[in-house]
Amino acid sequence: MVLVADDNEVAQRLCRRVLEKAGYGVLIASDGLQAVDLALAQNPNVILMDVAMPGMDGLEAMRRIKAERPEMRVVIASAHSMASDRERFLAAGADDVLSKPFRLGDLVAVVAKLTAKPSS
Amino acid sequence: MKTQSLVRRATPFVGIAAVFAVAAATGAAELLAFPLFLVVVISSALFDDRAQLLTVGAAASLAVLILSVIHLGPTSNLATAVFEVAVLAIVAGSVHEVVRHVRAAEGSAERKAVELESDDARLHMVMEAATIGLGVVAHDGRWLQANERLAAILGRGKGELTQVGLLDVTAAGDRHAVEDALGQLSRGEIVRWESEVEQTSPHGRPIPVSLAIAALSDQSNEPLLVQVTDISARKRLDAMRDALVAVRQVIVTANSWDQGAGAVLGSLCTHLDWDLAQYWSVDAEKHILHLRSSWRGDDSNIGDLDDPSRNLSIEAGGGLVGRVWQSGIASALDDLAANDYEQASAERRVGLRSAVAFPVVSGGSVIGVSELLGGEVRHIDNDLVTMLSTEGVEIGQFIHRAETAQALLRSEADHRAIYERSPIGIARVSSDGELLEGNPSLLHMLEHDMETMRSQVWPDLLRAYDQAAGRARLAPMLAGITDQRSVQVRAATGGGRWLWLQLTATSIPDTSGRPEHVLVMVEDVTTVRETQDKLAEALDSQRGANTTLEKLDRTKTEFLSIVSHEFRTALTGIQGFSELIRDGGLESDEVRAYGGYIFNDADRVNRLIGDMLDLDRMESGRMSIRLADVDINEVVSDVMTRAASSSSVVVEFKADFDPRLPTVTGDRDRLVQVVSNLVNNAVKYSPDGGTVTLSTRADGRFVLVSVADTGLGIPADEIAHVFERFRRVRSGAAQSIPGTGLGLTIVKQIVEMHGGKIWVESAVGHGSAFHFTIPLAAETATPSQRRHA
Repeated sequence: MVLVADDNEVAQRLCRRVLEKAGYGVLIASDGLQAVDLALAQNPNVILMDVAMPGMDGLEAMRRIKAERPEMRVVIASAHSMASDRERFLAAGADDVLSKPFRLGDLVAVVAKLTAKPSS
Repeated sequence: MKTQSLVRRATPFVGIAAVFAVAAATGAAELLAFPLFLVVVISSALFDDRAQLLTVGAAASLAVLILSVIHLGPTSNLATAVFEVAVLAIVAGSVHEVVRHVRAAEGSAERKAVELESDDARLHMVMEAATIGLGVVAHDGRWLQANERLAAILGRGKGELTQVGLLDVTAAGDRHAVEDALGQLSRGEIVRWESEVEQTSPHGRPIPVSLAIAALSDQSNEPLLVQVTDISARKRLDAMRDALVAVRQVIVTANSWDQGAGAVLGSLCTHLDWDLAQYWSVDAEKHILHLRSSWRGDDSNIGDLDDPSRNLSIEAGGGLVGRVWQSGIASALDDLAANDYEQASAERRVGLRSAVAFPVVSGGSVIGVSELLGGEVRHIDNDLVTMLSTEGVEIGQFIHRAETAQALLRSEADHRAIYERSPIGIARVSSDGELLEGNPSLLHMLEHDMETMRSQVWPDLLRAYDQAAGRARLAPMLAGITDQRSVQVRAATGGGRWLWLQLTATSIPDTSGRPEHVLVMVEDVTTVRETQDKLAEALDSQRGANTTLEKLDRTKTEFLSIVSHEFRTALTGIQGFSELIRDGGLESDEVRAYGGYIFNDADRVNRLIGDMLDLDRMESGRMSIRLADVDINEVVSDVMTRAASSSSVVVEFKADFDPRLPTVTGDRDRLVQVVSNLVNNAVKYSPDGGTVTLSTRADGRFVLVSVADTGLGIPADEIAHVFERFRRVRSGAAQSIPGTGLGLTIVKQIVEMHGGKIWVESAVGHGSAFHFTIPLAAETATPSQRRHA
């Protein structure tokens, strides 16, 4: 199961459509706080986390989630796509980083990689 | 002699005793006794010896009295005895007187003869023994007699003297006076005449003497006694003293050796009887002496020595002058002919025959040698050499003093020149602050004359100094002159220019060390100060510019980051859904829905680009607004109508227009953009519906437009930032409301370009009210708008 946390409705719809098609169950959160609540309540395998969200931002949400569930995989999917941003996200604890806009294949691949890991 | 005298003295007593003895024994010899006693007494009286006579007389009288008592009885013959004694006494006394008188007459005649005989010899003896010259002259001045001393004084033999007269050896200048004196003396008009005159030696050398002539007796035409004292030694000492005095006078009045040299050398020559003098100065670098000064008597027969001397360099030890330099000891040459060296031969050629040279000494070292030269061979005594040595020290001191004084004068002149020509203003101020003196620079700098400077400008300057010093926590000028710190003050020139002056005070102590007056340096630092100020200003603005640049840079980076984020967010949907469509296998309604998403995001990107370009043009001043009369009510109602018709959101529009609203001058399209932006926001941020109220009214010289909603409202900490770029309220329900984040920034720019203002009142949960003003038409032609026209 994949939790998509993004304040942009278009992005939400796109991810839901692509990931469901790839066979994943999809949860949607519209801000950071919602993401934390859903993550802790639903234990998704992977979280696709936007950064610039109103209220609690994605990085803070990730920090809180990791504090509770260190094994939970978090992919930061951000339109902040400068080289320094990628380093910053990984340093903050992200398992992977996906730059927006992304190829749909990349989205599926990154989620597949992270969901496969624990079972393998 | 003694025995003879005793016998002579004893004889009368023996006679008296014998007569007494015979008469006493016989008693018959009484009559004979008295005549015998008389004889003894008379014979005693013949000798000029009163004591003897008295004693003999007394003895005889006693004998007469005793005999009369023994032989004749006391009564009758005592009277006879007394008579006899009286006769004895009278006879003896008379005889004694006669004898004495005769003796006296005899003695006087004898003595006189003896005396007359010895006078001549004694006179001769006295004359010869006398330390002064003595002689006897006849009335015509012919020498009758002269002692050796006189002959020595006059430089002639005694025998030679008798061939010349007193007048012949008297110097021509004195001859007449001596002749007169001889005449007066011979006529008995005067008995003594005395004067100092000059006699002449056989070689014509003047001999100063003191001459006294006296009559030998009261009678006229008797020979005259002449007394001559050699006063040449005294005269020489007098001359030396006079020379010293004269030199000292020159030294006191002269300012430099070169100025006084002639007079000094001339004084020495005149008083000490030399014909020429030279001063040779030591050249310390070249170790030679060279001629520096000279003097030559006007009436001298001596030729010019300067020419042969001028190019001569005398080395240490060379010639008289060189030897004196080397040894530092004065030295003389009685006869130059006996010496052969270069300078001596030159000296001989011009007629010089003797020389004395003495070192001129200063500070223990010889700084020069002075040489006195004479036209005749002479004996130069030690007194002169000693005296000249002393003189050398005195002259040396003078030269040193004069040179020091010259140096002081020069340095004084230098200081004066510095003072006069210094580009810095220099003021000499008394200890109570009064301006005593100001140099030309000071007056020129402040464009005042000395009088104005002294009475007005300087007191002002002093006050300004003290005020500035007070601000700088320094002591006032007159109290703080020791710290030498500068103070800058503002001062106006006579021409009305304002200057910055830097004042530095220094105290000048008097000889006791107390501050006597104050020297104030006044520098015009206006240019420096202005440059400094400009520099500081430039630095400030540079710093400001740097800050602005840094801010701009930061803003730009932030802007890029935000813009790229906005674009990428929009592109995420566009790229993702278009990829889905491209890959196919979608239902047709899916394709339609995705196409819608793609369209919206593409539209958003387009708006974003448009907004950014607008903003850039406005901020860089490249956007023009087309001014025209605009009816604001019409603009607002137009926007409201369109919003109401197109909005899918359920809000209620209310209009509250001022029907008599004056027209404004503005760009209608831009004003539409402002109002529609505000209305769109009002609608967007009222997701749950509500009322959007549009109102217009005149407010003084402005039209006030308000767009108020009853929507989400803006958190207090965001209100101040709503007009900044990409600042969007995204908390709570506002988070999903799309926007470029540039709308309000653009709105604010447009309002300000019209000369208006925009502001917002808002409270979360109660909605927001945006207000803006646009100046009325009459007021629109202000510079701030024309700039954009």
